[in-house]
Order: sequence, then structure tokens, then C-alpha cells
Amino acid sequence: MEYPDDSKDRRITQLRKGILELAVMGVLYHERHYGYSLVRVLTETGSMSIKEGTIYPILARLDRDGLVRSEWMESDQGPPRKYYTLTPLGRQAFNELSQEFDLLVSLAQQHWSQAKRKLVVRKAQSQ
Amino acid sequence: MNQYPEVVTTIANDYLERVKSQLRLLPPLEQEDFLREIRSHLYEAYDRTPGDDDVVRILAVLKNFGEPAEVVSDRLPRAMVRSGTGRNLPLYILGGILIALFGLPLGFGGFGVLLGLLAALAGLLIAYYAVAGSLLLSGAVLTLFGLTRIVLPELWDKLVTLGFIRPGDFLEGLSPTDQGFLLILLATLFLAAGWGLLRLGKYLLRGLRFLFSLTFDWIRRFAQTIRRKLRNDRRKGRTSPLPNRQPANM
Repeated sequence: MEYPDDSKDRRITQLRKGILELAVMGVLYHERHYGYSLVRVLTETGSMSIKEGTIYPILARLDRDGLVRSEWMESDQGPPRKYYTLTPLGRQAFNELSQEFDLLVSLAQQHWSQAKRKLVVRKAQSQ
Repeated sequence: MNQYPEVVTTIANDYLERVKSQLRLLPPLEQEDFLREIRSHLYEAYDRTPGDDDVVRILAVLKNFGEPAEVVSDRLPRAMVRSGTGRNLPLYILGGILIALFGLPLGFGGFGVLLGLLAALAGLLIAYYAVAGSLLLSGAVLTLFGLTRIVLPELWDKLVTLGFIRPGDFLEGLSPTDQGFLLILLATLFLAAGWGLLRLGKYLLRGLRFLFSLTFDWIRRFAQTIRRKLRNDRRKGRTSPLPNRQPANM
């Protein structure tokens, strides 16, 4: 069985996108940001490598669900910027989601370490 | 915002046009807001990208930003959902049923049936607009006749003697002014009917456009699946002497 590259890429992108939404909410929890500054924070402090444009579908989705609020503001350094803040509903959602995320990560890690252990045992037996 | 080199604005605008073409289904205000936001991002990123060559800088910005399809990916379903909640919903369902019934199980045969159905629908639309157009044209001609009867009775008489116009007995029994008014009244009715048809046609058009986009989207996906399958087969053929090893991910 060959594992096709494009489906691998798709899975990684999917995984990243899922986490990215949570990360965006986390950044907007305490500070307001516009698209570009949000990308900078995520890539510089979180070292998440993403296409910058992918932030906008996420913001659109959060906006649609009422989890963020947005407003246009003039900027003295260039074109006007659209700032986003997390709404109270968004904060609530973030708290719930991050708990869920922790749970998933610990679950995945548990199975991961089990799988690794089995692999080590099998290798030792075959030698 | 206009202090950017022309080549930079040209490239950025070209990109924004490509984004815009993906946003067709969104309401215009939302389109504008989204494009403005992206434009703001692109210029700020451009300003902060070091380099001497303007073209290299803006191209680097666009490369980091991603393809338009990625950028709008979550915008479209919203547009579809929203416009689908209104009067177009039956058409959307019809489109879905058409694709589900003919497109998926029958493969290329279903594709033909689907195209045939769409062609029929398009024919219907053309007929519809032809009717609306002829109503408007008749209205315009009748208005002209009515005005001629009232304002230029001599011309009217000449047209009647020449045989261009053959007023019926009923019209002959009325005074010239009444004849004119009657004609104009009739013309107004025609014009109103034509105009009404045109207005309603907008919804018909929107629904059909959605059906078409749905179908073509499906065809594209179908073609992609086939292409991927072919590519995988070819790759498999090439590497078959070697045992396939799965990369140890996770």
C-alpha cells in the first residue's frame, strides 16, 4: 500500500487548520489584532508555518459564528486595518475548546507511546 | 495608499481580481469588505518585506499569502447557505438531486444526461427572455403608434393607406385621440409585462447560474479524481519491482 503524498499533505493541512483556529482565538483572547499582525504573532511566537491568507477563512468563520467582533480603523502607517477581538461568546468557546484540545492531545500521546513501545518490543524480538 | 510603484499595484490588483472572481456568490458589500482587508494585508506585508526589486517583493508577499482558492475557501459555503435560505432553495435542492441521481452513479453517461438537462434549462431561459423582449418591443411599437395617432394624424392616415397599419373595426369607431390613448394603454400593459418578466428573470438566472456552477464543480472534481487515479496507477507501475514501504509517520 502506497501512502499518497497529496493525501498526506491534506491531512497535515487539516490538522494544522484545526489547531490554527484555536491558536487564533488564544491570541485574540487578551489582545485585539488585525489579519497581518495576527499572522506575525502566530508565526513569530508560535513558529507556526502557515500561508498568511489562511487566517482569513478562519476569521470569517469565527465572525460568522459570533465568536469575534471586527472593526475598521485608520492606520498612520498605511491602509486602514480591520481589527478583531474575541467576544464573550468567543472566550467561552475558547475555554471549552482548549480543554477539549488538552484531552485529545493527552489521548493521542497515550496511544502514541503505546504504539512506540510495541514497535520497540517487536524490533527486539526480531533481532 | 497610492504611493506604491505601478507594477506593484498592477500585480496586487491582478491577484485581488482573482480573489474577487472566487467571491462571485457573496453579496457585493461583503466582497468589497473582504477585498479591502486583503488589500490592506498585502500592502502592509509589502512594506515590511525587505528587498530592492519591487516585483520580487510583491511576488514574495503573494507567495506567502497563498492561492485565492485557499483564501476564500470558507467564504463560499456561507454565501451559498445564505442565498439558499431564500427563494432559490428549491433550485438548489433540485441541483443536488440532479447531480445525485444522474451525475454520480452513471459516470460519463450521467454527465451527458446532466448536460442535456442543463441545456434544456438554458433553452427555457432563452425562450423566457425572448418573450420578455418581444413584449417590450411590442410595447414600444404600440407607444409609437399611439403617439402617431394623437400627434401626427396625417402620418397615421398615410400609414393606413399604405397598408402598414390595419386598424380593426373597433378602433375605427373611436375618435383619433381615443384611439391613441387606447394604443398607449395597451402599450403600457405590454411594457409592464415585459419589465415584470425581466425582473423575475433575475431570480431564474441566479438559480440557473448556481445549477451550472454546481455541475461544473462536480465535473471538475470528477476529472480530478480520474487524473489522480491515473497518476497513481502510473506511479505504481513504475515502482512495482520495489516493495512499497510506508513512511513511518507518527
